[in-house]
Amino acid sequence: MSVHAALQSDVFRFYLVITLEALVLAGGVIALLKWGFGAKVDQALRAYRGWLMMMPVLVFSILLGRGTSILFFTIVAMIAFKEFARATGLYRDWLMTAVVYLGIVAAGVISFVSDPHAHVPGWYGLFMALPVYVIAAILIIPIARNRVRGQLQSLALSIVGFIYFGWMFGHLAFLTNAVHAYSYLLFVLFAVELNDVAGYVCGKFFGVHPLRSNISPNKTWEGSLAALAVSMTLPWLLRFTLPDFQPRDCLLAGLIIGVGGQLGDLAVSVIKRDLGIKDMGACIPGHGGILDRVDSLVYTAPLFLHMIRYFHDLY
Amino acid sequence: MSAWQYDSARDLDVTPLERLRIFPREPDMLVYGARLISALLMRLWLRTYHRLSITGQGKLPKSESFVMVANHSSHLDALCLLAALQLRRVHHAFPAAAQDYFFVRSSRLIAAVVAVNALPFDRQARACESLNLCRQLLAAPGNVLIFFPEGTRSAAGEIAEFKSGVGLLLAGTRYPVVPCYLAGAYESWSRHRWFPRPGQIRLTIGEPRTYSDREGGIDSARHICAELRNEVLALAGDSQ
Repeated sequence: MSVHAALQSDVFRFYLVITLEALVLAGGVIALLKWGFGAKVDQALRAYRGWLMMMPVLVFSILLGRGTSILFFTIVAMIAFKEFARATGLYRDWLMTAVVYLGIVAAGVISFVSDPHAHVPGWYGLFMALPVYVIAAILIIPIARNRVRGQLQSLALSIVGFIYFGWMFGHLAFLTNAVHAYSYLLFVLFAVELNDVAGYVCGKFFGVHPLRSNISPNKTWEGSLAALAVSMTLPWLLRFTLPDFQPRDCLLAGLIIGVGGQLGDLAVSVIKRDLGIKDMGACIPGHGGILDRVDSLVYTAPLFLHMIRYFHDLY
Repeated sequence: MSAWQYDSARDLDVTPLERLRIFPREPDMLVYGARLISALLMRLWLRTYHRLSITGQGKLPKSESFVMVANHSSHLDALCLLAALQLRRVHHAFPAAAQDYFFVRSSRLIAAVVAVNALPFDRQARACESLNLCRQLLAAPGNVLIFFPEGTRSAAGEIAEFKSGVGLLLAGTRYPVVPCYLAGAYESWSRHRWFPRPGQIRLTIGEPRTYSDREGGIDSARHICAELRNEVLALAGDSQ
C-alpha cells in the first residue's frame, strides 16, 4: 500500500468514486427533503456532517499507505477503548487502563513489523498470541498491588476492553498486510457501513417487530432482514473487486457482514444498556462516540480476515 | 449474584472540547500527559528565556491543601507560580481563571485547561458558587489554589486593591495561604504586548499564614485581603 499503488489501483479508485457519489447523493436527498418537502432532517443532517468529518480522515489514511492505515486503526481502537473505559468507570484504574493502551499499541506495532520467520509484512503468529501476553500482564496488576476488592471487575473490564477493541478490531489493521489489501479492507469497511445504513433506513420505514426489545428497542426484524439481504447481495455485485472470490466466498462474506455486523452492534448495545447510557461518547456529531460507529467492525473484521486467510491466504 | 456498580464518567454525552468547560473535571490520561509535557516545557522556557529565580520555595506546605496569592500583571504569573510547585502537583494545582475570558474561545480554553489546569471563576454573577467550588477543592488533601486577588492583569504594573473573594474563602478556615510577589513579569509580557520579550522574572514566596481565628463576613474578608496585600507589598520591598 502506498500513494502510488492506491492511485494505480482500480479497486481504490472505484471505492473512492462510489463513496463520493454516495456522499453527494445523500447530501442531495437531505437537501431535497429539507428545502423541497420541508421535512425535519436535523438528525440526518448531523449524521451527514459526521460522515463528512470521518470520510476524509479515513480516505487519506488509506491513501497514504500501510503505515498510516495501521496508525489510523490503532488510534481509532484507542479512542474506542477510551470511550469504553470512561463509560464503565475502568478509566479510574490508571494502571489497568495504561496496560490495555499498551496492548493496543503493541497490536498496531505487530501488525506493522515483518514476520521474522516468513519475511512478510505483519507478524501473524505474535498477533494471534498477543492476548495471552496482555491478559498475563493485566492479571499481574492486582498481585503487584496486593489488592483484592473490586479487582475482578477491573480485570474483567480490562480483558474485555483489550480483546474486543484492541485485538478484534485490530484485525482491521492487520488486513492492510494482505496482497489484495485494498480489495479486502475497502470491501469490509464499505459493506459493514452499508449494512448499518440499510438496517437503519429499512427499520425506520418498514420496521414493526422488535428484534431484541431489551437490548436495542429501535432495531426491528424487518430492518435486520433487509440489511442481511443487502449484505448477502453486495459480494456478488462487488465480485469484480474481490480477487478469486468463489460463490462460497461470496456467501460467507455476505453472512459475516450481514449477521456479524448486526451482532457486533447488538453486543455493544448490551454493554450500553447495562451501563444505562445511550451513546458511548459524543465525539462524532450525529453518531455518538467512535465506538458507536465501529461496533459492527469489531465483530466482522476478525471473522472476515480468518475467512480470507483460510480460503485464499493473505499474501 | 448482585449486579456490578459502574462508576461512569459524568460527561459522557458532551464533546471532548465541551468536556474541558466542565468542572470538576474527569481524569483524562491524554490531558494529564499533555499537561505534564507542557509543564516541563514551560519550566524550561521560564528558566532560560525569562531567567526565572524563585526565593523561599521551601516555605510552601508539603502535602496539605493551601492557597497561593500573588500580584497580577501578566499571563506569565500563573506559569511562574506553577513552576514553584513540585511537578507531581501540577494536576492538583488550580489557578483561578476568569470564566468570561479563558472559557469562551476554544484556543484559550484548551491552553487554560490542558496546560494550566485552570479553575473557571465567575467574576460577576456566580462568584459565590465559584467560592463554594474552591472550598470543595481545599477540603480534598493536596490541592493548591492559585489566586490573583486583583481580579485582572494590572494595566501599568502597580498592585491594585485585592478583591474580597479570597478573604471570604479563608476566613475561619485552617487552610494556609502563601503570599507571593512577582517582579519582572510585567516588563516581560504586559497586557499591551502580544508576545513576551526576554527579561528576568523573580518570584518571592512569603511565610504561610492562616485565618482560622477570623469570623466570616465581608468586613473580615476585606481586612484579610488588605493584610495579604500588605504582605505582598512587603515582599516587593524585600525583593528590591
